[in-house]
Amino acid sequence: MLEIRDLCTFYGKVQALWNVSLQINEAEIVALVGSNGAGKTTLLNTISGLLRPASGHVFFLGQQIDGLPPHAVVELGISHVPEGGRVFPEMTVRENLEMGAYPYQAWQHRGETLEQVYQMFPRLKEREKQLARTLSGGERQMLAIGRCLMSRPKLCLFDEPSYGLAPLLVAEIFRIIQGLRDQGITVFLIEQNVRRALEIADRAYVLENGRICMEGPCAELLESDHVRKAYLGL
Amino acid sequence: MVTFLNIVIAGLLLGGLYALIAMGLSLQYGVARVLNVSHGEFIMLGGLITWTLYTAFGVNPLLSLAICGPLTFLLGFIIHRTVFKRLLTSSESRGVFESNSMLASFSLLFIIQNIASIAWGPEIRGYSYLRVPVNLAGAVFGANRLMTLGFAVVIGVAFYLFIARTRTGKAIRAAAQDPAAAGLMGVNIDRVLALCFGLGAALAGTAGMLISLCYPVHVAMGLEYTVIALIVVVLGGLGSIPGSFIGGFALGIIGSVVTNIDPSLSLIAYYLIFVLLLLVKPTGIMGR
Repeated sequence: MLEIRDLCTFYGKVQALWNVSLQINEAEIVALVGSNGAGKTTLLNTISGLLRPASGHVFFLGQQIDGLPPHAVVELGISHVPEGGRVFPEMTVRENLEMGAYPYQAWQHRGETLEQVYQMFPRLKEREKQLARTLSGGERQMLAIGRCLMSRPKLCLFDEPSYGLAPLLVAEIFRIIQGLRDQGITVFLIEQNVRRALEIADRAYVLENGRICMEGPCAELLESDHVRKAYLGL
Repeated sequence: MVTFLNIVIAGLLLGGLYALIAMGLSLQYGVARVLNVSHGEFIMLGGLITWTLYTAFGVNPLLSLAICGPLTFLLGFIIHRTVFKRLLTSSESRGVFESNSMLASFSLLFIIQNIASIAWGPEIRGYSYLRVPVNLAGAVFGANRLMTLGFAVVIGVAFYLFIARTRTGKAIRAAAQDPAAAGLMGVNIDRVLALCFGLGAALAGTAGMLISLCYPVHVAMGLEYTVIALIVVVLGGLGSIPGSFIGGFALGIIGSVVTNIDPSLSLIAYYLIFVLLLLVKPTGIMGR
């Protein structure tokens, strides 16, 4: 579904990604784990068009998408939930969700999608008319996920969805992400919470200093000495 | 009591114009992040175009709205697409863009003003249209001035509804709050910013047409209105369209009260309010 080939991206003058290649198949959850500053967010931002790669390519459903602006990437069916959710603070919950349905195709179906999102997150319906800045951290993250679903995506990119949330909420967010796969939505998940990510994902890549250093099914990675030492503290 | 009411009505008449020009600047500064010092030049263009159309071709000033609005919109849109978009891509941060774009708008001010003075010359231009006295609450106002208020309110409310309710309006608000996140939602940021700049210019052009109904217009009139617009935008809260609308009327009434004491004091009063506001509540009426 998504294929990345030899991607190199600079963040300012610093090269953040070095020949990154990876592949995501339909209806799987793929995790990208790594420590702070490894280049995970840079990779997501390159996929969604916020950054342009210096070299290499990104293909989505066979179409080359590197170099496209973010609004064109969403229209193809890739929705990006940025770190911290980045909901629009001065808009209501409902308006935030409607913004998610901004691409023309999604706009046509926004009423129907809104019902589905409210069914998934009854809390958002209760707070429909509240400004997003009055929500708690967990509610904001749910709003960000709901907003991403409003574009009726084929692929969701999540940047640290558990960051800053209480353990109970983290479990809920991860359960929701797992649920997306059952709806046929493919997920690419970036996490610092390596254990959790490897527990729900099908496959994972490990990114270190801008390079992919390991990849494989999660069960395998959980057994590997390197992952256990460097990321699980065992 | 009657005189007080008169002052308030006069203030509302002035405030309607202030509200329009401030809403325009609010879009350009609050969303497109361009502190557009040349805002008043679009007002001047609107005024002088209306004057030319009326005196040379006999076009009804109210009809010239249909010409001034689209014309200034197009001019603003094109300027953003060429000048400011390029600055946006070449500036490494938002702060750098804000200072660069302000300098660029200074040069726009001089370019537009000089071209206009070649076209229209330095004379003060005025015409008489609908100067029919209307008796309102015991005082007499010109029908043209009342018309101005009506137009300002209708345009202001329509504009507010556009921003609050429509898909494009929501995109504009989203772009003002978080441009990168708006892009991720599917908003074409370049287009929305150019649209905001164009709409801001169109509001200025429309205000210019309304101003020409009541006051004489000339090539150098712009800067005073730019300053007033800036004060109203800060008064109402940066980037808040309702804030600019309310702020415009508030400043109009204050101006009217001060003018009643001594006409030469009104600008001084505006600056005083501006300074006090920055010291006491820099976020403005509707700001957080």
